[in-house]
Amino acid sequence: MKKLLSIVLALVLCLSMLSAASAADDMTEEANLVFYVMGDAPKDEVAVEDAINAILKEKFNTTIDFQFSTWTDFNLKYNNTLISAGADLIYVANWENYGLNATSGAFLEMDDLLDTYGAELKELCGENMLNMCRVNGELYCIPNLWPEYVCLGIKYREDLRAKYDLPYPTTLENIEAYLKGIKEADPAQGLLRPTNTESASSLIIGFDTAYLLADKYPWVAPFGMPYGLTANYDTPADVYDYWFSDDFVEDCKMFKSWADQGFWSKSALSDTNDNEAYDNGLAVAEIAGMNPNKQITSANNFAKEHPEWESAYLTYGETTGVIYPGHATQNGTAILRTSKYPERCMMVLNYIMTDETMNRLVQCGIEGKHYELDENGFYVNLDDSFPYEGFNTWNLRVNDFKLKQATDVTLQAMFDKYAELGNKTKWPNVNIWDGFTEDYTDYTAERAAVGNVMRQYLAPLQAGLVSDVDAAVAEFRTKVTDAGLEACREGFQEQWADYCAEYNYQ
Amino acid sequence: MSVAVMRQNNPIGRRSVTEHRNIYLAAGAAILLLLLMIPVIPWIHLTNPDALFDVMKLKASAIKKLQASYPVFTFLAFVQDSKQGILGLWSFILLLIAAATAVFHAWGIILFFSRKKIAAKKSLLGMYSRFQCGMLFSFLLAAGTLGLIFFANHHYGMQGFHAGFPVYVTLALSAAGYLSSKAMERKERILWHEHGFIEEVRRNWILFLFLVPCFVFFMINNYLPMVGIYFAFTQFNFRDSLFASPYVGFKNFEFLLHSEILHLTTNTILYNLVFIVAGNILQIFFAVLISQVANKYLKKVSQTMIFMPYFVSYVILRVLVFNMFEYDVGLINHFLTSIGRPKLDFYNTPSYWPWIITLFYLWKNIGYGMVVYLATITGISSEYYEAAEIDGANIYQQIRYITVPLLKPTFIILLLYALGGIMKGQFELFYQLVGNNGTLFSTTDIFDTYVYRITTTQPLSMGLGTAAGLFQSLFGFIVIMLTNFFIKRKNPEYALF
Amino acid sequence: MKIKDRSQAGFSVIKGVLLTILSVLCVLPFVVIVSGSFTSNQEIIRNGFSLLPRDFTVEAYKTIFRTPEDILQAYKMNAYYTGIGTALGLIIITLTAYVISRKEFKYRNTVSFLIYFTTIFGGGMIPWYLMYANVLNLRGTTLAIWFPALITPFLVILMRTFIVGAVPDAVVESAKIDGANHWRIFWQIVLPVLGPGLATVGLFQALGYWNDWYRSSMFSTSSRTWSLQFYLYDLVNSTQAMRQMAQYANVNTADLPTQSVKLAMSVVATGPILILYPFVQRYFVSGITVGAVKG
Repeated sequence: MKKLLSIVLALVLCLSMLSAASAADDMTEEANLVFYVMGDAPKDEVAVEDAINAILKEKFNTTIDFQFSTWTDFNLKYNNTLISAGADLIYVANWENYGLNATSGAFLEMDDLLDTYGAELKELCGENMLNMCRVNGELYCIPNLWPEYVCLGIKYREDLRAKYDLPYPTTLENIEAYLKGIKEADPAQGLLRPTNTESASSLIIGFDTAYLLADKYPWVAPFGMPYGLTANYDTPADVYDYWFSDDFVEDCKMFKSWADQGFWSKSALSDTNDNEAYDNGLAVAEIAGMNPNKQITSANNFAKEHPEWESAYLTYGETTGVIYPGHATQNGTAILRTSKYPERCMMVLNYIMTDETMNRLVQCGIEGKHYELDENGFYVNLDDSFPYEGFNTWNLRVNDFKLKQATDVTLQAMFDKYAELGNKTKWPNVNIWDGFTEDYTDYTAERAAVGNVMRQYLAPLQAGLVSDVDAAVAEFRTKVTDAGLEACREGFQEQWADYCAEYNYQ
Repeated sequence: MSVAVMRQNNPIGRRSVTEHRNIYLAAGAAILLLLLMIPVIPWIHLTNPDALFDVMKLKASAIKKLQASYPVFTFLAFVQDSKQGILGLWSFILLLIAAATAVFHAWGIILFFSRKKIAAKKSLLGMYSRFQCGMLFSFLLAAGTLGLIFFANHHYGMQGFHAGFPVYVTLALSAAGYLSSKAMERKERILWHEHGFIEEVRRNWILFLFLVPCFVFFMINNYLPMVGIYFAFTQFNFRDSLFASPYVGFKNFEFLLHSEILHLTTNTILYNLVFIVAGNILQIFFAVLISQVANKYLKKVSQTMIFMPYFVSYVILRVLVFNMFEYDVGLINHFLTSIGRPKLDFYNTPSYWPWIITLFYLWKNIGYGMVVYLATITGISSEYYEAAEIDGANIYQQIRYITVPLLKPTFIILLLYALGGIMKGQFELFYQLVGNNGTLFSTTDIFDTYVYRITTTQPLSMGLGTAAGLFQSLFGFIVIMLTNFFIKRKNPEYALF
Repeated sequence: MKIKDRSQAGFSVIKGVLLTILSVLCVLPFVVIVSGSFTSNQEIIRNGFSLLPRDFTVEAYKTIFRTPEDILQAYKMNAYYTGIGTALGLIIITLTAYVISRKEFKYRNTVSFLIYFTTIFGGGMIPWYLMYANVLNLRGTTLAIWFPALITPFLVILMRTFIVGAVPDAVVESAKIDGANHWRIFWQIVLPVLGPGLATVGLFQALGYWNDWYRSSMFSTSSRTWSLQFYLYDLVNSTQAMRQMAQYANVNTADLPTQSVKLAMSVVATGPILILYPFVQRYFVSGITVGAVKG
């Protein structure tokens, strides 16, 4: 009985998923599209949606309903939405595993749709941007069209640096000197609040100090590649071994000397790290995940709470000369394979991204009610119930239509500086690493085991919390080899070589 | 054995029919059906392999592994080798049915050969019920196989598969076997004054009515979604969707061999045992204590206070604990320094953590469990105590000989209940207190935290997570079945089911 | 007699002391949380927690109640889920427990087993989610939020123990001889003596509902149906997520809840049920105890 019912259930589920209409869309039927986006809904969601739908209804006989992941378990719910065919249009991003989901078949191939229903959009994007969104040659998403830099760097206290006459924390030596100088001048001052770092998409597992590697090596990926491999930005196809190199031992020794000097707590590996230490003066620098926008946030906080403090920012790329913009797949829009109305999806997407009024309506709400422009043409919010980019649709940003905020001036200045530096690299302003998707289906178990060894043995090394670095390095190397490192490396290198060949990164 | 001896051995003087043609028919059918399932006898034939492989778009390397026909137990091998996930779930369910069929037939046959011995002591209803189950499953198996073949042919739009003769033989034989067994069972029932399902429904229809909401709930919430166990054997991808993703056999279970699985298992079990034992002892202890307090005010206030930690969420507990045990500014080291003792490096010393974790577990859960015991104590009739009082028993004796024994059933039920989850851990407790601090893993890593870390670093690893869950379930299932079996033998009243 | 009195006096002191110690240990962290919720965020970040608020402020509560209508709505929904889930759940649990406690019911072991089985084996989150979201199409309804927790196997089995303990078989048997059917036995004989059992199971059921955020998270499509816990939990999560998000994209992260707000949320969320608790409590503590008999 039980089994019979499960068969029935299975069939019902299968049918409900396979029922996507394949017949051509004749527009006579009203389409209600669900647009799945990240984060929390704005309070005035309905009012803005009504305004949008009034137009869409007339033009395309279509309405859209934004549905929000909320910030609780958003990865889980994002996956559920894909599995349960819970949306038509969906926000995609490399940190939401765009490449993996696309390979796995979650999204619809877009080329034909784009040609037929999105010619304007196609032209606006340009071949180059679209190519970056391709996975195995197929287009699965439309990128956002606002160039931004989310490079990593160090955020530090310029006022203290000046006060104690310390060097700018450009290189590792200078960072050490900066921290040491403050420690000597004011022993009670907290220095750094690093903790472990984890990111699923490219198996980054370790300690926050790993971010500093980008300040020392001109690598193609800030942490190096997975499995302790790495390559330089100028020669991406030329992969070499980091974990088994002398550099690795040297770096670990340096981290230990920093830990021994008390740059961070002995309990750092379990730190609850709430990110508020720097803003409250408990730390004098932040090294992990700091990008231009975070610097702006801190600078604003300081201006409000502690006007006597000054936050400054140096991107690691300024030291190594490797600097590139965010990848096109940073924020994008895809159509679910299971959508009943793929044509309508494309028409709507095309319209939102090519029509100035519509784009501003989606991004900023109703003019005069939710926002207005001041005398300098800057965006000014009038009503909290629909904030700037209230639908969190960072994927719908279009440079020409994007309303500037007052804080954007500083940010834009930083971007301009980086764009200039990025132009001088061998691949001018190309983000090589983030366009790559690893398919680890064949060595999942080994990869999982390697990840576990990294957590257990690599993180303490990078935190300098081992008594004997050489012995700990040796142990890490043995354990990680036993876990099946070779299988992972082989699989990865083969795919990486193909990727480099495809895009001609030699 | 002569009839006279049998009569003598049978205390009630009833005699089951042990020699009747219907019995032989049922047993013969069972033996034959079992033989038909032997893994060399083909059930499913490929009608036109070349054309079929063409439709399936198979490569030569894959074709090499395939056979022209498959026995009932190995069709999943075909599904796996040909990467036809669409047939996976159906074949998987057939395999489960086949396994159940084999078990019931074998069981029935064993009972058949010892039927005379059984009949001397009790009824043969058990044997008939096994036979009927076996026949029913056989029938389902054959019908399901035909269904699968029909579905596959329909799906590929061609006559790709056909059923072998054993399928049809099974279909007919199981029907015959079922009917003959049923006929015998009816006679046996009358002999032993036992009643069947329909009679039970007629007699206790109100009880069945009471169960309806419960049935609906568990069906929707638990039993139907159990189809998901199948995902443990697939490699999910969106293109094929959930139920048609490739079947990969036991590949998702490989990580269980790869890791320090023994170490994780012992950690998990040890922690759980300590939690169960220490938790219950303390809960009973404090429940008795509170019940003994005469002062109403103290009684109520202390009970509320002991319950309070239950409301402290682990996220907040984590912050509090870190503030206590941190090396430089933590409360404990602050205190140690102030009395001139050296600091302790908690977050780099694994040996402290079993104590810390157990402590916080108990702290958080005493109040919750205590309520159960308090309610049980409240339910104890005052007459017991009054009688003891008259006999001159003091308080300790009253507790020792009245309260504690009367708490035993509750304790055993709670214990049994907890044992089923012996491989499942208090994930939040461990994860929030320890975080991803690898230095402490040797003493703090349990199965759940391990699986969590693995699945978060592997997006789309649904199969892996399900496989891990299945392992935990099977482990708990075996433990609970064994424990329940022994408890039932000693005292059926205490058994869970 | 004299010796007994002395030993009883000693016992009474020991139990008083033991209980007081445990109570204080249990309540201390709560005091810290309450005091932290009234301390300014900067003070917590800089100097950690304390038993009494140092830099007293109600800023955290102001943040939470910035939009009072939202939090009131969440309270309302929480009360609704807790009310309906506890009432309906308690009835079904008790009915079920009654059935499997009856010896004359032939399939009681099978039913107990089938109920217990669900605690060991499960299909995982995704089929469960699909069942409600796709098969029953309940996404966005309040039904999807309260229904999935209606019966907890643990509580059914607990209730069975209470029924077995409170209702001797002889009583049921004699009622049956008098011609009562199960319906009457259940309502007129079993329920009236089940006070402590109903209170315990009802309390656990209510706590489960009150503390739930997961189902709101999974099935809500609008903040109108959020439970209180989810409303608060999501506020905390959005802080963390937005900060993390800023690592990948240029997103504004200013003005987000902080340490003291988190603590204030705990207080806001647990306050009502802590106030309610003493009312249920009398069922556990009012019974006859040895001390009371002694007088």
